[in-house]
Amino acid sequence: MIDFHTHTPAWRTASWLGGVPFGADEFVAFMDSAGIEQALVLSHDGLFDATPEANDDLAAFVGRYPRRLIGFGTVHPRRADAPAEVDRMLNRLGLRGLKLHPWLQGFSMHELALDPICEVLAQSGGILLSHDGTPPYSTGGQIAALARRHPSLPVVLGHGGLHDTWREALAATIETPNLYICICGTPPYAAREILSRAPSHKVLFGTDAGLSDRKSQDYAVARVAEIDGWGISDEQRRAMLVDNPRALLAAGR
Amino acid sequence: MIVDAHVRLGRGREVALEADQLLATMDALGIDVALVAPDERCIAYDNRAGNEHVAAAAAASEGRLIPYAVANPWRGRAALDELERARDAGARALNVDSVLQGFDLLDGLLDPLLDFAADAGWPVYVRTGTPPSALPLPLAALARRWPGTPFVMGRSGATDFWIDAAPALRHAPNLYGDTSYAPWDTVLVELGRDPQIGPSRLVFSTDAPYTVPSSELRRVLDWPVDDDARRDVLGGTILRLLDPALH
Repeated sequence: MIDFHTHTPAWRTASWLGGVPFGADEFVAFMDSAGIEQALVLSHDGLFDATPEANDDLAAFVGRYPRRLIGFGTVHPRRADAPAEVDRMLNRLGLRGLKLHPWLQGFSMHELALDPICEVLAQSGGILLSHDGTPPYSTGGQIAALARRHPSLPVVLGHGGLHDTWREALAATIETPNLYICICGTPPYAAREILSRAPSHKVLFGTDAGLSDRKSQDYAVARVAEIDGWGISDEQRRAMLVDNPRALLAAGR
Repeated sequence: MIVDAHVRLGRGREVALEADQLLATMDALGIDVALVAPDERCIAYDNRAGNEHVAAAAAASEGRLIPYAVANPWRGRAALDELERARDAGARALNVDSVLQGFDLLDGLLDPLLDFAADAGWPVYVRTGTPPSALPLPLAALARRWPGTPFVMGRSGATDFWIDAAPALRHAPNLYGDTSYAPWDTVLVELGRDPQIGPSRLVFSTDAPYTVPSSELRRVLDWPVDDDARRDVLGGTILRLLDPALH
């Protein structure tokens, strides 16, 4: 299976939900314990302070296991050098996409500063994954509006709308051809509904691993195990965990 | 004894749960007692049908199901009449969902119902989360105005308002957190080790039928706290809130 939403430790910046530090070896041991073959590893420090150094650190982390770990860096979109940093992330550091967290980083998806960033990302075969599920800056409708401005760029809703906006996230995924939905922290009943109604090739799964107080990432292991209780079919499970993420990553490059 | 502090019985928009299914799950998981609320439609609109449904389920359960009462506060005096009926039929706590019921926790509509709960000695469960009308900190402000009434912060702000759960619990000492959806190794451990909060301010709930109940229980069982704290989380605290004289 491919876990489409995990994080590095917060090495420099996080003061809430930072979890314990861990190395790439320990992270791969967690993946093995949960049956995860590949993981998308998203920037963590960069969400609090989007520096090139944060992307360098991420690249070094995933570089330890290039066949198991896939890195998504970040930028602050209002910085003038953001498009150039996205180009560096993808074409020099070997990262595969951009993670944005609009409410944590403090910008709106409607800001035009995002356009040159998305253009570089699309030209480089990258993927955009955004936090979603939380007003005022991270709703599925807002992220879908950005996706419509960049129809050749795959855009992923990183949390499937969470508890209170999952119906909006689902509707946006259905009506937006280049929008995908990652079930991650989404409640089980909503996950089941998303899997039954979204285009079957568009649903992904993530654990949000990396924030735990234990290197073994206990909650992430539990989230994988919990899928057994969702009441979904074997076909839905395989598509979400294997076929869909594999196809999306293959299409990106 | 394990007590599930919040379950909804009936048919919601995407979910359904009836008493026989619930009791079978409780048997399988070793849950002794569950507090049961009506379904979404009955919380929002048909309060009478919902209260009667959970009262009947509780009456047939040989003490294993304890009914919440619901009444939409927009109904004014009729809401209080409904709570009286529910109390006479066995309800022992008030259940509030400001999103389904369409009001703001601080607009005053709920105040008469909270006076009723205070007089009845009922704890009050309030569903919280991301909607602006259901955030943890406004609930804490509300709870402080009824300091003798325990309030349960249903879902503890899951998920992005987990960040407000600790400040809300610190602000209102009569506010209690809910374990549903919360990973032990991120959220619960933070609340549990806070000297102003601690594990005994948290109550276990499965929030069925929205969840995988076995996963909700497993998470609390996996949480490395001492036996006294775990007993409180799994039932001791909610039993004290329901009946301070007996526990």
